[in-house]
Amino acid sequence: MVRILLKFPEKIVDEPIISQVILTLKAPLNIITAYVNSKGGEVLVEVPEDKMETVVAAFRKHGVSVSLPKFIEVDETKCINCGACVALCPFEAITQQEDGSIIFNKEKCVGSTCGTCVDACPARAIRSVKQENTTLTNRHTIKSGQLRS
Amino acid sequence: MHCLEESKLASQSRTRSIEEINRKIRSGDVQVLTAEEMKKLVESSGVEVAFKEVDIVTTGTFGAMCSSGAIINLGHSDPPIKIHRAWINDVEVSHPGAAVDLYIGATATSETNSFEYGGGHVIEDLVRGKEVELRAVAYGTDCYPRTKLKTHLTKDDLNQFYLLNFRNCYQRYNCAVNTRDETIYTYMGKLLPRMRNATFSGAGELNPLMNDPDYETIGVGTRIFLGGAQGYVIGEGTQHDPRNLNGTLMVRGNCKNMSPEFLRGATFTKYGATLYVGIGIPIPILNVGLAKKTAIRDEEIFTNVVDYGIPRRDRPELARVSYKELKSGRITVGDKSVRVSSLSSLKTARKIAETLKSWIENGLFYLTQPVERLPTDTVFKPMRQTEETPFVAAVMQPAVTCSEDEEVRAVAERIVSKSVNHIVVVDEKGILHGIVTSWDITRAMAEGCKSLSDILTRHVITAKPDEPLETASKRMAQHNISALPVVDNERKVLGIITAEDVSKMLGR
Repeated sequence: MVRILLKFPEKIVDEPIISQVILTLKAPLNIITAYVNSKGGEVLVEVPEDKMETVVAAFRKHGVSVSLPKFIEVDETKCINCGACVALCPFEAITQQEDGSIIFNKEKCVGSTCGTCVDACPARAIRSVKQENTTLTNRHTIKSGQLRS
Repeated sequence: MHCLEESKLASQSRTRSIEEINRKIRSGDVQVLTAEEMKKLVESSGVEVAFKEVDIVTTGTFGAMCSSGAIINLGHSDPPIKIHRAWINDVEVSHPGAAVDLYIGATATSETNSFEYGGGHVIEDLVRGKEVELRAVAYGTDCYPRTKLKTHLTKDDLNQFYLLNFRNCYQRYNCAVNTRDETIYTYMGKLLPRMRNATFSGAGELNPLMNDPDYETIGVGTRIFLGGAQGYVIGEGTQHDPRNLNGTLMVRGNCKNMSPEFLRGATFTKYGATLYVGIGIPIPILNVGLAKKTAIRDEEIFTNVVDYGIPRRDRPELARVSYKELKSGRITVGDKSVRVSSLSSLKTARKIAETLKSWIENGLFYLTQPVERLPTDTVFKPMRQTEETPFVAAVMQPAVTCSEDEEVRAVAERIVSKSVNHIVVVDEKGILHGIVTSWDITRAMAEGCKSLSDILTRHVITAKPDEPLETASKRMAQHNISALPVVDNERKVLGIITAEDVSKMLGR
């Protein structure tokens, strides 16, 4: 699964674009976080790797800007298990174990779209890194036949 | 045989001595518990049993200790130099002595990579065995003719490399929150707006000084675990305030034997560099009283929740919480439940207490008798200031106000008649609703806009009357604005300060 960040401009925020993409492409999109109001929206979704190209193209065709958020990574050799990051995480992706160890749950983390913890780490053990084996370029443009109408 | 008799004697005696404990360390009979284990034993078996069975309780703490540093001696260059200013890896170090002694302060920041690298990192790099670059300049004398120097060094090249920390091991510390509308970055870490998080520091029941609060056993000359090696207490720390349970220590230890696991350079964003220091102190259980004192629990150790959003010496105390609550991850402040997490490492504090315990059990660490007791009555005085610092209230002017339902034209007339640039929009109770500037009004007139509610700025940056003028001035610069309405805690408008008045006062 690849995580992509969708940005909806004010003009199209009232259109059911995500539903349209899911229905037309039969792509099981998993919405991780969504912030939407009348001025626009930011939605983080998980896309199966094999559908990624067509999904990205479809969103772009609707006028949605698509980007690839970075992942948060913890360098265990640098981490001093202090806990400075724990209470800052809005998704409770960082927790403290009974023995005092700090555990980072990558599944719960939304990546660089949040990033609240990064500059709070005194040991500089937290950084945002590019998602592996994935790039988003302009080649994800629509190819004929990929979108069934 | 001798040992048996001795322990029989001890079991009847109401006291035990350091010499007696050291003999037991030598013979391998010493009984050591970590502070956490001691608490459990006292809880299950009582103080009397604990006193009889336990010789030593080990403690530990691992946290950011800014008032730390290392003294190094470089040896002489040829021709010799009397260093005037020096830098290691671009971090300025001070020259407290004659010619080639330098003090690396933990919080000194790099001149090329300012907040990301500092004295704490230099100390860690040297401890790790890394090579560092030293640059120095001097004015040159007949005996020390050299004026410039550049060389590369490792810890092996140094004659002395001692950690010399003047304030470490705080007995307990404030819990920090921020009531402002913006995130702030402090030495207590990142504090989100409107109390969305809290931070604390300290090991609570594992803290060395909490387990000997009357300084019965910790004194000048007490041998301790310091940064992974054996070090010594050399006195009370600066700002030592034992009567308020804010005791501190001054310590010294040989960095050449230390480990980066227990001595780590660190960075607090927008604050600067620091050094995480690991300290563990053995508490000899010399009497029943000490058995009782070392049984102290997190729920008996309290600290204040302090608002770091107020940039004053006496910050408001919003609540009182125990270390048990702090370690649970949630505290209550007023009617709000706030997530809290630590800046110091409980895991490493435990490891320190365990390591010290195993050193003693394996005969690698002996206790010392302090040569002098630490003071138990010193006070921590505030600074004597002979020049006054200006606060917002000093330059505050009455605000020219209007209500939201007034017409643009009426407000324009007020701007002219009162000759001001800012009109503060308030409700009938004087509560802040917005602000309009002469520019907003000019534009509204040009565009034919009549309603004030269409043009007023609702998200207003404000100041508090007891805030230092410098902080308010910085905020204006940050947001590129020229005035701040001054409000109280209920957002009632008290007045206004303008950039012009502030510059006059600060003399810029």
